[in-house]
Amino acid sequence: MDALIVTQAINVVYAVSTLAVLTLGLAVIFGLLGVLNIAHGEFVMIGAYCAYLTQSWNWPYLVALPLTLALCALLGAAVERIMIRPLYRRPFDTLVATWGLSLLLRKIAEAIFGPGFHSVTIPLPGTVQFLGIEYPIYRVVLIAVSFAVAAVLMIWYGRSRTGSRIRAMVSNPELAQAQGISVRRLAAATFIAGTCLAGLGGVMVAPLVPVQPFMGLDYVLRAFFVLVVGGLGSVPGLLSGAAAIGGVDSAISAASNATDGYFAVLVLAILFLWLKPRGLIARG
Amino acid sequence: MSAPRLAFANVTGGYGSTVIVRDLNGAVAAGEVLCVLGRNGVGKSTLMKLLCGYLPCRSGHVLLDGRPIDGFEPSARRRAGLTYCPQERPVFDDLSVRDNLSLMHAARQLGPLRPYFERFPILERRLGQHAGTLSGGEKKVLSFVRGLAEDQPLVLLDEPSEGVQWENILHMAECIAAKKAAGTAFLVVEQNLAFAERIADRYLVMDQGRAMLEGSRADIDRGRILGHLHV
Amino acid sequence: MVSMRQGPNRRTFLGAAAAGAAFGALPGLARRAAAANREFKIGLFIPLSGPASLFGPTDRACAELAAEEINKSGGILGRSIKLIPTDAGGPPAETAKSAVRLMLEENVDLFIGSHDSATREALVATVKGKIPYIYTPVYEGGECAFNVYCLGETPNQQAHPSIGWLAAERKAKTYYLIGDDYVWPRKTNAETKKYIAANGGKTIGEEYVPYGAPNKFEEVVTRIKSAKPDVVVSTLVGADNVNFNRTFAGFGLDKNIARLAFLLEENTLLGIGADNSRNLYSCMGYFANVPSPANTKFKAAYHAKLGPKAPQLSTIGVDCYAGVNCAHALVAKAGGTNGKKCMAASEGLTFKTAAGPATMRGRQVDKTMFLADCKGTQFEVIKTFANVPSGSACKT
Repeated sequence: MDALIVTQAINVVYAVSTLAVLTLGLAVIFGLLGVLNIAHGEFVMIGAYCAYLTQSWNWPYLVALPLTLALCALLGAAVERIMIRPLYRRPFDTLVATWGLSLLLRKIAEAIFGPGFHSVTIPLPGTVQFLGIEYPIYRVVLIAVSFAVAAVLMIWYGRSRTGSRIRAMVSNPELAQAQGISVRRLAAATFIAGTCLAGLGGVMVAPLVPVQPFMGLDYVLRAFFVLVVGGLGSVPGLLSGAAAIGGVDSAISAASNATDGYFAVLVLAILFLWLKPRGLIARG
Repeated sequence: MSAPRLAFANVTGGYGSTVIVRDLNGAVAAGEVLCVLGRNGVGKSTLMKLLCGYLPCRSGHVLLDGRPIDGFEPSARRRAGLTYCPQERPVFDDLSVRDNLSLMHAARQLGPLRPYFERFPILERRLGQHAGTLSGGEKKVLSFVRGLAEDQPLVLLDEPSEGVQWENILHMAECIAAKKAAGTAFLVVEQNLAFAERIADRYLVMDQGRAMLEGSRADIDRGRILGHLHV
Repeated sequence: MVSMRQGPNRRTFLGAAAAGAAFGALPGLARRAAAANREFKIGLFIPLSGPASLFGPTDRACAELAAEEINKSGGILGRSIKLIPTDAGGPPAETAKSAVRLMLEENVDLFIGSHDSATREALVATVKGKIPYIYTPVYEGGECAFNVYCLGETPNQQAHPSIGWLAAERKAKTYYLIGDDYVWPRKTNAETKKYIAANGGKTIGEEYVPYGAPNKFEEVVTRIKSAKPDVVVSTLVGADNVNFNRTFAGFGLDKNIARLAFLLEENTLLGIGADNSRNLYSCMGYFANVPSPANTKFKAAYHAKLGPKAPQLSTIGVDCYAGVNCAHALVAKAGGTNGKKCMAASEGLTFKTAAGPATMRGRQVDKTMFLADCKGTQFEVIKTFANVPSGSACKT
């Protein structure tokens, strides 16, 4: 019985850490720029297809990373310039625009790769002995990478010059401009960072899930819930949101069943939207 | 004689289709302080925003060292040598006092700020604190120090003394005098005539978006200014 | 060259426009009757949107192939078939609305549907037997509404032979059932449990995940690992089935535990991937690589029509081929689309399918079932069960 409990506990950690990484892109774009990027999941999808392409060309798996970053940066830059920049501070308009973008990206993926499933082989197959139980190696690595990415981002955002400037821009865009920060360029860079992070998440999960044009839908709603619960604009908020949504879902799925877990997530998100719309940790 | 640091000619503008400032002219030379005086709501801050590029001029031109900067966005004007300390939301509330002061310094050293800390020791004591926790007057002091420490040839201050203790206002005046002596040009929007009298070389008195009086401090009668400052 | 073509073209266009205007002057009813005489209209409900839309292209291609073949040999009662593909990938109520529109505005003669059971129930309630409705995909069995005909695999056809084989050949004793939470998995599992008990086995776990939710399966797989069943029976569909099987193998359970899936066709297996398909079985009425003469002939026609980029064949798609052929045979035998006559004609009706001729009994189809072992991303048929009855007999 012990092995069951330990494994389920690791499953909870795994759920929380992957959810945090898959939310990062949305958190950056929504939390810092106020743009709810409905196409977030489609950027995750692009990352996953890049992983698939990398593998089908017989390149090492890590090549998917630069490939995804390049593609997501290029696309993110174009989308920001054409679609988002004229619509900053118009939340509903950006919502509709990015919703349209999500449909478009899905259709493009379908036109290129077809509507069917693709499978990406796990680059690190097998299981590892771990706390007295057996756990898939790739998932263990994923947990570690997720924590590393979140930690690096938190330190970078809190300590680096660019991080401070982004915080300055978010806090007071006019004053940021007065001090020589080109808000236009910094906002574009932030948007691109968000799309790249989403793509990165896609590369990470690609070997675990069916890669197909609709896969993005799975990620955008859950990521949104994380931000609803955690609050916008801070890394601790993101982590607490991921811990709440991913943790509750995984723990209840483990203790009871997946339907109850899903139901609990919905209830949690609705309660927060209703009673605490700024989330657990608001910006500050 | 070279071109003035800042010159503006026939500047007209406002928010959207509402014109607030009409046909204003002015110039500030190096080592000179121009005080823009007027009651609340006469368009002083609007003039600042037109000069800094937050609002487009409907007509007229802004020149920096004789060069037109009309198409420049605010960050480009800053890079061209114009420092601006706004009246509203003068600091980054979410950043620490330290980050507020060092945001744009490559090395993020506080060394050059030492003289300011001697005049305003409160800032040094609060370095680690979020600027949002400061009082209104303390924020103004922080904003003022940040602006002067940028060491730019032209500084625009929008009501720097608002909410600041008299003792610190005097320190501000001394700081401005020192900078002025070193050649910095100032354009200061004020309502506090006592402060303005300590720093100004020339006045521009506004009412209802237009220039009412302008000229050197010595030439303008105090009573007439007061007539425009009080209803 | 361009100017030479332009002259006659414009004249032709003007002539056609004049004729059209004259035709348009006829009373509307007469026009509609004329059109109805020309074509036999079939509303083809297939998923064109939503996650199930990956089946849409094959469904459509297979139905079109059958319609072409039938039209070449004279159509249905001398009328050529016109397929009207309609989206059934959205909410059932939306699909029902489309059905009403097709009946009222298009005067459609017959419906063929390949979609989930919730949509079928909505369509049955909407159509009310006014026109024949042929439901083609694998389903839970027992649909006996008036003037409705079901072609897909039933639990009796899937679970009965495959559970028997696992019990006999793999000495399976304990079973764990996992499915999506809707009517097909629940009803199929209810039947499956009977067969498990009948074979002396024991169901040691049964659970469902929310249908349509972004499910993940680490917790379920961990629970299964701890329960140590001999066999896991999956009634998960689509992405959930892929996701579950990938997680299952990722946790290393594929070494010792056999998996039997009831909606595992070529697309799903491609998603599961070669690394994750060890000890995985599927029991369906059709696999694209079954080398029967009928299937070889069908595939040649399919690939001749669609070329090298043809959408992946699977049981869901070829059932639409069977659906159109069934419509042809049914209406020809009944002499029209009258409900009572069609019901009577359906008994013992034989029609063409990709797997060979099929016979309808009790408005369901007896089927030859294949049990396949997954080898990489290919199905290897290890056992064939001939003429397995559907297990439901509806009144005709």
